Amino acid sequence: MKLTLNQRRALTGFVFIAPWFVGFLLFMAKPFIDSFWISFNTVDMMAGFSLKWVGFQNYVEAFTIDERFVPTLIRAVRDMSVNVPVILVFALFTAFLTNQDLIGRAFFRGVFFLPVVIASGLVVQQLFAQGAGRLASQSQTMAMIDVPGLIYMYLGPAAQIVNDLLNRIVLVLWSSGIQILLYLAGLQGISGSLYEAARCDGATDWELFWKITLPMLSPILLVNVIYSIVDSFTDRFNPMLDLIRNYAFTGQFRLGYAAAAGWVYFLVIFVIILAVVLSSRRWVFYAGERD
Amino acid sequence: MAKVLENLRAKTVGAPWFLIYRRRTENLFFQLLMYLILFNIAFTFLYPVLYMVSTAFMSIEDFVDPAVYWVPRTLNWDNFQLAFLGMNYKVALKNSLVIALVAAVGQLVSCSMAGYGFGRIKFPGREFLFLLVIFTFIVPPQTIIVPLFILYRKLGWIDTYYPFTVPTFFAAGLRGPLFVIIFRQFFRRQPWELEDAARVDGCGALRTFFRIMLPLSKPALVVTFLFSLVWHWNDFYEPMMYLMKPQNFTVPLRLSILQSSLNEVTGGQAGEFFNEPLIMAACLLVVVPPLILYLFFQRHFVESIERTGLVD
Repeated sequence: MKLTLNQRRALTGFVFIAPWFVGFLLFMAKPFIDSFWISFNTVDMMAGFSLKWVGFQNYVEAFTIDERFVPTLIRAVRDMSVNVPVILVFALFTAFLTNQDLIGRAFFRGVFFLPVVIASGLVVQQLFAQGAGRLASQSQTMAMIDVPGLIYMYLGPAAQIVNDLLNRIVLVLWSSGIQILLYLAGLQGISGSLYEAARCDGATDWELFWKITLPMLSPILLVNVIYSIVDSFTDRFNPMLDLIRNYAFTGQFRLGYAAAAGWVYFLVIFVIILAVVLSSRRWVFYAGERD
Repeated sequence: MAKVLENLRAKTVGAPWFLIYRRRTENLFFQLLMYLILFNIAFTFLYPVLYMVSTAFMSIEDFVDPAVYWVPRTLNWDNFQLAFLGMNYKVALKNSLVIALVAAVGQLVSCSMAGYGFGRIKFPGREFLFLLVIFTFIVPPQTIIVPLFILYRKLGWIDTYYPFTVPTFFAAGLRGPLFVIIFRQFFRRQPWELEDAARVDGCGALRTFFRIMLPLSKPALVVTFLFSLVWHWNDFYEPMMYLMKPQNFTVPLRLSILQSSLNEVTGGQAGEFFNEPLIMAACLLVVVPPLILYLFFQRHFVESIERTGLVD
């Protein structure tokens, strides 16, 4: 049977993505659907994983009866919404700094990327527990000026968040290594001729920043935002991870309930990312051609 | 031309120039300021590491001694010995190494193939399938961990290397979709003339891939291999789920049961030895292998992302 050129190409294409496709079906799609299915049941682990349909009961319980689920969820979202902007701004700032023609640039890049390599979950947790997460130079001055007191006095209810952040600041900054790299790559992709042309037209430095640098960076910004959100929700030693693990593998071994919790978590993340992506059409500027 | 720019530069006012683009400034003050900020940030980054190293060498007396801040009085290697024994380091190291290396290779092979298919070959449904790839990147492991666990249980893969290694040969595994995306972006940027030339010379798709595209994709290969290695080494969540017997644990996992393992080693006296310096020594043992890798290949880690053309 002679295939047309297009058909042959299509076949080659399928051959190349075949491993991925198998993996996707086996290790992603099927568990995904299974998890959805399980979440509507209770699983009896003793009787060989038999399922018993309970409808939305798991979901209802997660939101109404369980006193741990909703607060943990809210905390995860709140942590993310505080951490991600901090990471993004800090990474951008650091990327600018390391983009300069300074001696020892490679050393600084090496340092900023180091946490990516050694940030294993437990190690980070231990460091945090031993107080290495605070800003070293600040910890003594903080004790003297009673910064926490000041914060509470001026910020009111938001103080708790700021305080948490300051305690975790080093660890938050540690998770910004990849973002710094992405920004760097983006910065170096902006051609200098744009700036020169703008200067010839009399642009001031601020204008250059807002009208050239930021827009040219916006695709990378989008990638960074999505990556940071996903990272914040999945990577660090996350209370949600612990919670779901607790449901599933300790205590009562309630796999159906754990699946429901996992699904709610996923939906929250999905909605957030969807919102980001949809809004990106307004603020992302693609220079050149888009395929 | 330079004079024109000079005049322009003198006239501009407003934002800190360093926000714009890179150039070496003649202004010493700004340079010093730059270095000051950078060093400050670098120190903040390094502080936990320095803390870890210095604490690991302390004996407990040094640790509680308020006069001792960074440098312990004596270099105490006991903690390392104890941590080494307590974590059953040799066995755990082997476990971690096998998993990390095999997984990295697996993702190299499968993600590059998938990326090539998505990036260079037009086939129906390509866009939609790639959307699925992006989708899988977003799904948190918590959502699918339960059915995956059941699956592995049925396959008898619990407590083996398989749950960590087999999926990586199918572009799944830790952050697998990310690597597929990276490869796809990379391959898309390659000139089409290369493939045309290869076809004229009689290469089929497979040979084009192996002989031409793959060697070209070294930056992406480096990124995938290094990151996969490091991420699998540091992974804690999946080993925690799928490994039951302590002798199969990976190194980070051993850290988590350190206290109880200590009991075995010290004959029930763990409480006496389990203190912060010991924990730090154990953490160092977890961290040192990827750290060594990083020290040797730091340039590759940092620069390779730029070279893959993931950006623009």
